[in-house]
Order: sequence, then structure tokens, then C-alpha cells
Amino acid sequence: MDAAIIGSLTVGSVIIGFVYSVLALGFNLVYRVNKSLNLAHPGLVLLAAYAALIISAQGLGLAIAIAAASLIGFAAGLVLERGAARPLLGRSPVALIAATLGIYYILRGITIKFASDYWSGGAYSLPQVTLGFGPVMLTSADVVALTASMLLLLSIIAIHRFTKLGVAMRAVAENPYGAAGYGLPVRKLTALSWGIAGLVGALGGIALGAEAGVSPYLDSYVLKALAASLVAGLDSVAGIVVGGLILGFAEQFGSYAFSYYLPGFGDVVAYVVMLGVLALKPYGLFGTEKIERI
Amino acid sequence: MPAGVFKETYLADMALLRYPIHWTSLGIGAVLLLAFPLIAGNYGVNTAVSLMIFFIGAIGLNIVTGLAGQISLAHGALMGVGAYTAAYLANNGVNILLAIPVAAITAAIVGAVLALPSFRLKGYYLAMASIAVQEILEYMFKTWIDPDQGITISTSSKNIMGIYLGNGMPLYYTVLGIAVLAVIVAANVGRSGLGRAMKAVRDNDVSAQVVGINVPMTKALAFTIGSLYAGLAGALYVLANPGIGYGAFGLDASIEFLAIVLVGGAGRIVWGSLLGALVIHTGWSLLASAFSADAATKYIVLGGLIAVFVIAEPEGLIGLLRRVKEYFRLWPFRY
Repeated sequence: MDAAIIGSLTVGSVIIGFVYSVLALGFNLVYRVNKSLNLAHPGLVLLAAYAALIISAQGLGLAIAIAAASLIGFAAGLVLERGAARPLLGRSPVALIAATLGIYYILRGITIKFASDYWSGGAYSLPQVTLGFGPVMLTSADVVALTASMLLLLSIIAIHRFTKLGVAMRAVAENPYGAAGYGLPVRKLTALSWGIAGLVGALGGIALGAEAGVSPYLDSYVLKALAASLVAGLDSVAGIVVGGLILGFAEQFGSYAFSYYLPGFGDVVAYVVMLGVLALKPYGLFGTEKIERI
Repeated sequence: MPAGVFKETYLADMALLRYPIHWTSLGIGAVLLLAFPLIAGNYGVNTAVSLMIFFIGAIGLNIVTGLAGQISLAHGALMGVGAYTAAYLANNGVNILLAIPVAAITAAIVGAVLALPSFRLKGYYLAMASIAVQEILEYMFKTWIDPDQGITISTSSKNIMGIYLGNGMPLYYTVLGIAVLAVIVAANVGRSGLGRAMKAVRDNDVSAQVVGINVPMTKALAFTIGSLYAGLAGALYVLANPGIGYGAFGLDASIEFLAIVLVGGAGRIVWGSLLGALVIHTGWSLLASAFSADAATKYIVLGGLIAVFVIAEPEGLIGLLRRVKEYFRLWPFRY
């Protein structure tokens, strides 16, 4: 491997790693408040990416498309919370997984229905600029995906760490009864967490669509991002960046190293890494280990 | 309990068939099942065989999800393991009747090995680990085992003593016999000590451990038995079809199995799986051919059924039916 290949693989890993982190963030935000997985997230990402594609194809400009898609994502998050998560409060985590899996199918069906003319996929209309840094070339799609996902991650982490709203959301995630005792609006903050998860999912979907092209297979990337979320630990917000980057590097370098003997191995290397990490650390690298009582 | 029935021994009280109505319905059901291919045409027989195959697969997932409370999204791929094992054996001169049990046991071994990393995991982590298993197995099918997207099964392996088992009445009776065996075993798993241990793990795994149940072992056994049934379903799929392709064993198949279990009734291994398979698998294929429905409608209907049943009726169709039965038990009086 010469320097040029290592360089371009590293850059590719960092870009896809940050995109994975953004997609995984949607799972973590929901996990923190509901202690379960939201498997409707892949469907939501798919829906938002196609919505942005269709709106921008109408000649309305990418900015309006992004705004509309984020609105759809936020609204879908709120609807999910009200329709699935709140009725299932107090049931086992498996119930929410199964219910959101059903909603994933509904969202996928809706996307196929209303995007039937665009279902084969496409790309967002971005200015075609190529930046060269020595041997490493960056297209405008790379730059957009990288900056958008980094900004998004930083702002969500910053909101969680430093603002009053973030403290309130952390309190609700930590202990809903205690938070209610201090007068925090637990329901509204839970719904807000779901809404933000949907918003982040929509924006992550657009970043993913810019980087990998909008296609019917976008939801499989989101399932891989769930692997990133589990590698990092489901209740960690900042650790997600490390999880995404680990996965990005494993995928890029793994598929390069095995491209001769195992074509297409890059598609499953994320899952192999995840099984390995979970076998050693069942709660992920940064997850809180639970001590259980009866 | 109906009037006039007295149990004198504990054994009689624990029997699967306790009351006269059980024996009567068993007799009528057996006659109907045996006479079905004489009444129904070729289409009816094929539909029934396909229903029984998915019924057997759903029993396996119902043991994992309904009894042991572990959500598994690898069931489609494990069915594929059974199917490809049976296809490989059949194409290498092994008779299909021998290949079916070997394929089921192979799938069980694969399922047991794959359950090992999930020993320490629970709930959502386990669900995700099973997605990983599904994707890894699917990748193996695509790259190594079945790169041409289709394996034709040799017809000579489906002959036994001059009878071709691959279609029509011989196929129906073979699959029926295996399905009855599978049902008897499954109905007894739930009543055995192992089944009670699984239920304890489902209801509260920490308490189960405290009372001395080996929780990881119980989960692994549930996975192994579930995989055995998945492999059996896959092998029967090979028997019933002239060829197989990996498209039938994807994540969509796993989700369909989960839908069958959740809509039919998780925890009611036999009747829940049967109702679910009847509604989700057969019902859908009949409706889809009647109204020429597209893939999008299938996604919306299937997903909607899963979500509605999980949220509003966690006991599934069995729960609904029981309420109807309770209503008519005292009808026309209200209590």
C-alpha cells in the first residue's frame, strides 16, 4: 500500500465515519429516553432522503429541500413518539423494537409509493468542484457530507453538554421521575428527543444521499450505523463519533484489504466488528454498565 | 371445564388432549387434513404446502420470541442454511428424506454457534446481534454458496421407491407428516422443564437466574431449537420447489416470520404460529394475487399489522379469538 492509497482510504473512512456517527446519533437519542431501539429510523432516513431528492428535482433549490426534509423528519419523530413509544411505556423493550420495525416497513412502503418516479435513485444537484490535496481528491459531495455531519454532531453534542435544554434532556433521560419531581415537562422533553432524533436522521440521510447517492439501499447503511451505535454504547452521545470512525476505518480498509479474496466483504465488516466488540464488552465501548436489581 | 369429566390421575390432568371435544375435533381435523388433496386442486395443495412450511418455520421463531422472549431477526438466514444444506446434499446423490433431518440439524448447529456471542447480551443488543448474523449469512450465500442467484435441485433425489415426492399428493402427505411431528414436539417443549425455564427467562431474567436457572444455556437452547425448526422449514422448501435462490432468505423473510409470530400470538407456539402463517403468509399471497398488489402495499400492510398488534393487542389473533370465545361461552347471557 503506498501513501496515496492510504491517504484516500483514510479520508474516505473519516467522511463515511462521520456520516455513520450522525445516523447512529438518532438511535442513541431515542435510546436515552426510552431505553429501547427505534428500528423505524432506517425508514425515516430513507423517506427524508427521497423527499429532499424529489423537492430539489422540482427546481426549488437544495436549501428548501433540506429545510422541508428536516421538517418531515422532526414531525415523523414526534408522530413516532406519540403513536408508538408513549402507548408502549412500561412494556418490555422488545415491544418497542417490534412496533418500530413495523413502522419501518410502513415508512418504506410510503417512500416507494410517493417516490415511484424517482425510486431508482439519483443524486442531489451540487456544484461539481474537485479539491486536490496532494494525492487525495475531494469532490463537492464529500465536502458537503463531511462538514454537514461534523457541524450537526458538534451542535447536538454542544446542546446536550452546555445548554439548559440539554441539561433538562439529560435529566429526563437519567431519571424521568426525579426530573418530573423538579418540575421538568417530561413528556414534552421526551417528544423533543424523538423529534431531534428524527431531524438528525433526516439531515444525516441527506448527507448520506450526497455521499453515496440516493438509492433504495440507503436504509442498509442506517442498519450499519446501528452497529456503530452499539460499538460505542447505546447511551453515550459523544462516544458515537469514535464508534462511527472505528466502523468507517474498518469498512474502508477491510474492503480494500479483502477486495481480492472476499469481494463485497466491506458490506459486512461492520457487523463482524460489532459482534467482536459486543462479545468483549456487552455494553459497548463507552456505554454505562448496568447493575441490575430484581 | 366441561361438566361430567373427572380426572383421576395427575397424568390425565396434564394430557394435551383432555376433554371429549379435543378428541372429536382432532378426529374431524385429521379426516379433513387427510382428505384435503382429494378435494382441493393442485393450486390448493401447493398453497397448503407453502403454508405448512412457513408454519414450521414460525414455530421455531415462536419458541425463541414467544417462549424465551428474545427477538431474533436471523430466522430467514437460518432457514437458508437448512435450504442450502438440503440442496447441496440432494444434488450430491443423497435422498431428500435423509437430507431433510441432516439439514435441520446443520441449521441447529449453526444457530447454536451464532448464539454464543449473544450469551452476554439481552434484549435490544441481542436483536441487533441477530441482524448482524442475518447479514453475514446472507453475504455468505451471495458470495460463496449461491453466486448465480439460483440452484436447481436434482429431481432424482426426490424419488423414493418409484414415487416422486416433489409435487402433488406425495408432497402434501410428506410435508403434513413432518409438520405433525414438528407440532407434537413443539407442543411438548412449552410444557417441559426447559419450556418453563424459557418462560421464566422471558418474564424476568434476573429472577430466573436467582432461582437457579442457567439463563445463557436456556437462551442458547431456545436459539438452537428455533434454528432446528428454521432449518427444517428450509429443507422442506427445497423439497417443494424445483430450485432455490438467496432472495428468499433475506431480512424481509426474517421480518415476515416475526410478523407471523407477533400477529398470530407470541407464546402460543402451535395455534399462534398457525393463525399467523394463515393470515400473513397465505392470506397475503391470496389477496395479492386477487388484487394484484405491489411491493409498496405489502410493506405498508405488513408493517401496519405488526405495529397495530404490538401496540394494541400484544397477545395477537389468539387473544382476539379467546375474547370472542369467552363472549359466546355464556351467550345469550352476559354473565
